[in-house]
Amino acid sequence: MSAPGLRALPAAALALLALSGPLLAPHPLDTPVTAPYARPGDGAALGGDQLGRDVLSRLLHGGDALIAGALAVAVTVTLLAAVLGCLAVLGPRLGAVVERAADLVILVPPVLGLMLLALAWPGGRRLAVTTAAVVLGTPYAVRVVAAAAAPLAGAGFVEASVASGERLWRVALHEILPNLRATILALFGLRFVEAVYVISMAGFLQLGPQPPEADWALMIRENAPGILLNPWATLAPAIAIAAVATATSLATEALAPRRGGKVAAR
Amino acid sequence: MTSGIPRVAVLLGRRLLLLVALLAAVFAATELLPGDAASATSDRGETAAGLAARRHLLGLDRPLPERFRDWITALPTGDLGTSARGQHVTDLLSAPFPNTLLLGGTALVLTVLLSLTLGCLAAARPGGPVDRIVDVTATVAFALPEFVVSVGLLLVFSLWTGWLPAATLTGADGGPADWTMLVMPVLALTLPQTGWNTRVVRAALADQAATPHVEAAVLDGLPAHRVLLRHALPGALPAVATGFATSTGMLLGGAVVVETLFNYPGIGTVLAGAVADRDTPVIAGVVACAAAVITGVLLLADLVRARTVGARP
Repeated sequence: MSAPGLRALPAAALALLALSGPLLAPHPLDTPVTAPYARPGDGAALGGDQLGRDVLSRLLHGGDALIAGALAVAVTVTLLAAVLGCLAVLGPRLGAVVERAADLVILVPPVLGLMLLALAWPGGRRLAVTTAAVVLGTPYAVRVVAAAAAPLAGAGFVEASVASGERLWRVALHEILPNLRATILALFGLRFVEAVYVISMAGFLQLGPQPPEADWALMIRENAPGILLNPWATLAPAIAIAAVATATSLATEALAPRRGGKVAAR
Repeated sequence: MTSGIPRVAVLLGRRLLLLVALLAAVFAATELLPGDAASATSDRGETAAGLAARRHLLGLDRPLPERFRDWITALPTGDLGTSARGQHVTDLLSAPFPNTLLLGGTALVLTVLLSLTLGCLAAARPGGPVDRIVDVTATVAFALPEFVVSVGLLLVFSLWTGWLPAATLTGADGGPADWTMLVMPVLALTLPQTGWNTRVVRAALADQAATPHVEAAVLDGLPAHRVLLRHALPGALPAVATGFATSTGMLLGGAVVVETLFNYPGIGTVLAGAVADRDTPVIAGVVACAAAVITGVLLLADLVRARTVGARP
């Protein structure tokens, strides 16, 4: 396996562990097995949370929705950006719309955008959060693809195929997109990191998953008051989020094209 | 477009137009809510007639465009409207918003200083050990959500060493009682943004290193630090300024979350209450303030870019 492939391995392994975690949990999620905020001891490797529920079991359950959600957001945003970005460099009007949309979205801090959407859609929960992440992330992502695609739009083989009367979307998908593989891959990694950020932020603000669900960000919010009694109830989910985010970030860095497009806009 | 003043006016006009467009979108979005402020804050058992009367009192029965016009024309005078509970939004925000600005502003200044320093240090020897360490550290740091960084800081500085207080105590003036209470919230905001901006600075400097005028300076035998600071950095500034402007929004948003964790007296608490009350004017007021601040920073970035581009023959 190549070196970049090896550096992507930890991220993939972590994602797999988090997704299969629920199968490994030693205790039921909602039944207290220890005293509230009990220190790690027999039967509970990471101690108990604010209700005495097993921290390890909740930790193993708490990542699947976050990672699945982040994957869904990253795939959706990357696909939208790939198609729209390639079309934007061929059609100036769409390009202008994309630029204005990105200029507007930059004015809304992600947290405020999340709050607005979670409010506008009271029953939406995780779906509302996912939608907010897609809406807030897509304009930048399109801008990144458009910037990478701009030099190609003037390339001989693209101009030739436009001149020969090919439909624009065929030119975009068949002539431009295949040349942007490295950019798209790096974009996907960055969008995943950003999606983990937005979704875990929503969990912490109790806008997405609701108690008594097991969710890493929600665990941090719930157990922070007892950080003196059982630090692991707060620390373990914090380490889990940090591990997933940084492993993906490092993998993206390894896979990214060396020059140009190395720093893609948020 | 070549003279100074019209160019500034054009940039200012464009940013203001974008700000108004955003405020219209936010106002419209909050109006699409299924419930409104009158029903969210009503007491249990309030009659339909009472509800209608309050809706009239709050002006919620007037047409949407009319209400938006009133709201946005009052904004420049500092009047952000009336909350669902009948308080002036300006009064609600006037005490906590400066605290949040202090938090975010300190973090922004630190971010600018740290990321410029680290980016230049890394760029001084491309591919050297410093470059690689800075690159990996920055890549790790920018991926961390602020509240995860906060947990780590709490553990190290409060639990293990006991150097810093875990929660913010409020002084007589409504701000944090002691500067030590700012340390952890500011660090929690600064670390991820420094990671991000160090990468922006490093990449912009790498782009500059490939330009003819920097290559010429290297071939002239000028010392490396002089080439970096006098020849490469000026050209990199537009990209760097845009990076910092983007960070402003992230810092303000992150502040809301960090404030919750450290009990810091900022807009985070006001915002949480407003979300529970479906208090459109309060949320719109916070978004308006935040968007105005970000617009200001973006305008500065525009001016830096205009200056740099204008200075080149």
